[in-house]
Amino acid sequence: MSGIAVRIELAPHCSLTPSGARTLFLGTCGVSFGIAGLMTLRGYWPVLAYAGLEMLLLGWALHASLQRRHRIETIVVSEDSVEIEARWRGMATRAVFPRHWSRVKLRDDFSRLRPARLEIESGGRCCEIGSFLTGQERQRLALRLAALIGGMADSPPLPPGKPRG
Amino acid sequence: MATHAHAAAHDDHDHKPHGWRRWVFSTNHKDIGTMYLVFACTMFFVGGTMALIIRAELFQPGLQFVDPQFFNSMTAMHALVMIFGAIMPAWVGLANWMIPIQIGAPDMALPRLNNLSFWILPFAFLILLGTLFVPGGAPAGGWTMYPPLALQGGDSFPMMIFAIHLRGISSVLGAINVVVTIMNMRAPGMNLLKMPMFVWTWLITAYLLVAVMPVLAGAVTMLLTDHFFGTSFFAASGGGDPVMFQHIFWFFGHPEVYIMILPAFGIVSEIIPTFSRKPLFGYESMVYATAAIGFLSFIVWAHHMFTVGMPLAGQLFFMLATMLISVPTGVKVFNWCATMTRGSLSFEPPMLFALAFLFLFTIGGFSGLMLAIVPADFQYQDSYFVVAHFHYVLVPGSLFAIIGAVYYWLPKWVGRMYDQKLATWHFWLSAIFVNVLFFPQHFLGLAGMPRRIPDYATQFADWNMVSSIGAFGFGFSQLLLPYIIIKCVKSGAKAADRTWDGAHGLEWELPSPAPFHSWESPPSAAVIARGAEH
Repeated sequence: MSGIAVRIELAPHCSLTPSGARTLFLGTCGVSFGIAGLMTLRGYWPVLAYAGLEMLLLGWALHASLQRRHRIETIVVSEDSVEIEARWRGMATRAVFPRHWSRVKLRDDFSRLRPARLEIESGGRCCEIGSFLTGQERQRLALRLAALIGGMADSPPLPPGKPRG
Repeated sequence: MATHAHAAAHDDHDHKPHGWRRWVFSTNHKDIGTMYLVFACTMFFVGGTMALIIRAELFQPGLQFVDPQFFNSMTAMHALVMIFGAIMPAWVGLANWMIPIQIGAPDMALPRLNNLSFWILPFAFLILLGTLFVPGGAPAGGWTMYPPLALQGGDSFPMMIFAIHLRGISSVLGAINVVVTIMNMRAPGMNLLKMPMFVWTWLITAYLLVAVMPVLAGAVTMLLTDHFFGTSFFAASGGGDPVMFQHIFWFFGHPEVYIMILPAFGIVSEIIPTFSRKPLFGYESMVYATAAIGFLSFIVWAHHMFTVGMPLAGQLFFMLATMLISVPTGVKVFNWCATMTRGSLSFEPPMLFALAFLFLFTIGGFSGLMLAIVPADFQYQDSYFVVAHFHYVLVPGSLFAIIGAVYYWLPKWVGRMYDQKLATWHFWLSAIFVNVLFFPQHFLGLAGMPRRIPDYATQFADWNMVSSIGAFGFGFSQLLLPYIIIKCVKSGAKAADRTWDGAHGLEWELPSPAPFHSWESPPSAAVIARGAEH
């Protein structure tokens, strides 16, 4: 494949940044080890051991929760294809659709909790994208993708962009 | 990197497991929340039965029903069961149910850890309640486990320590999960100062738990090693200091009191604006007041032990620091009153419980101020006045807030409306009997009746009789709560999505009952803005 391609990368929202998590962890460690350190100085060292175990657990919990930042969906729309790659913890799933025979579908409510599903479909296959986006974000993405991919048997010109290597 | 073609099949995302597996292997925050609440309710009735045994014995002077050893076991076990088995799990249950929904998250950050932290609990309490059947009987040295008395507990002693360790692990796992969930799982647009007060109070509570649980774990481990491994952390004969145990215990114990009351502040801050049909007055000051109370809780522990002997400077510091807590607490009480001022008030059961909380918790706060005064405390120490004080804080304080929360959110949980008339009866019976039960204990304490005694001088007979009548009235009126809940689940009328017309918050944007999976897709900015009208 060659020519122009538009690349869109989606990542779920995490309200905690890695630096925020570090600050949170170090701050909590400071309080916990400060208390345990004072006790240890008085000879009551078992408190320090439990504080250490607890901070290890907190560190692991923050690390595990921040893993969701690594869930990334990449959509590449080129002249002749639409590629969707979803990556999560070293695993990747990939779907490729012919752009000319693809369309973007924003499915309406089937449950009040999932206001819509954004899918790209072609030839009886479909792939959901951006399930972690808010309704407004999903709608904006749907409009953008519809403009890039067009309807069935329709391939609108791609905006000028980086040539694909 | 594994790569394969992908063509997703539609999935309605609302499937849920059935049968016992749904509960045993549950990672769903609502199911785990329900299990916590059912467990807490069960323990509430177990601990309540112990309280009724105590009050039956104290109905009149002399020994009537139980021997003094068993009486002492009942006082210690009642406290352990109510604190660690009823109040704390009830708060964790409410946190599990409501925090993800209120911050627009699909679940808790670490769902498997959540399952583990619940399932540790029943085993912890099986062990603790199992001490009732071991030689020497259940722990009888009080929930504070002061050495050397606690070390004389026979077979029950290591069982109690093990149960407390398990309970501590459960609490720490739960607290870490709450911190990570609130910090990392908030929906886009839900910044910290848009969070509901219940979430804020729980965040601070979780920090208190994380800070003090290693202290408790260390303290009880040292008791264990003193008893079985010949160490002398607290054994005076080996150069240890038994009074230091009291310092260490209360360094945990006083924040523990706030762990039990801060979420109640959050609940009341949700209920009062709803039924006043006004935003919460001074939202930010409420947040800062909660944080201030959390901080102050670490520097007041020695007010529990003025009489052990400490330097005058220490007594003054702890007295003044304790009195300082009344400032942020006063800010809260003022803000709740200001919220109601010129509001369009209505008095549904959750509001009635919140108002009772406001009046009666304040009484508990005032008697706390009396106890903070060092020379006065020398008179009140270990008297029934102390019993009256902390029961006013924990029963019409924490417990009424929990019941208010159940009546507030029950329609959201089960999708059905409960019998409000019966719930109003529940309120009035509870509110009257709780005062009949605990208010006379102030008089008894001031007249000099010591706590933790199975028999007493005849001069205390009348008010003890009144208090016991109140206890039985209060205890039996609580049977209405499970009846109302079961009736609601079985045959309640369909509840509206926004059950209370003045309610805000993301939970009210969901259908009733809240679906098994909620907010799989984060709420939009408009929904968050609507919910954040504090």
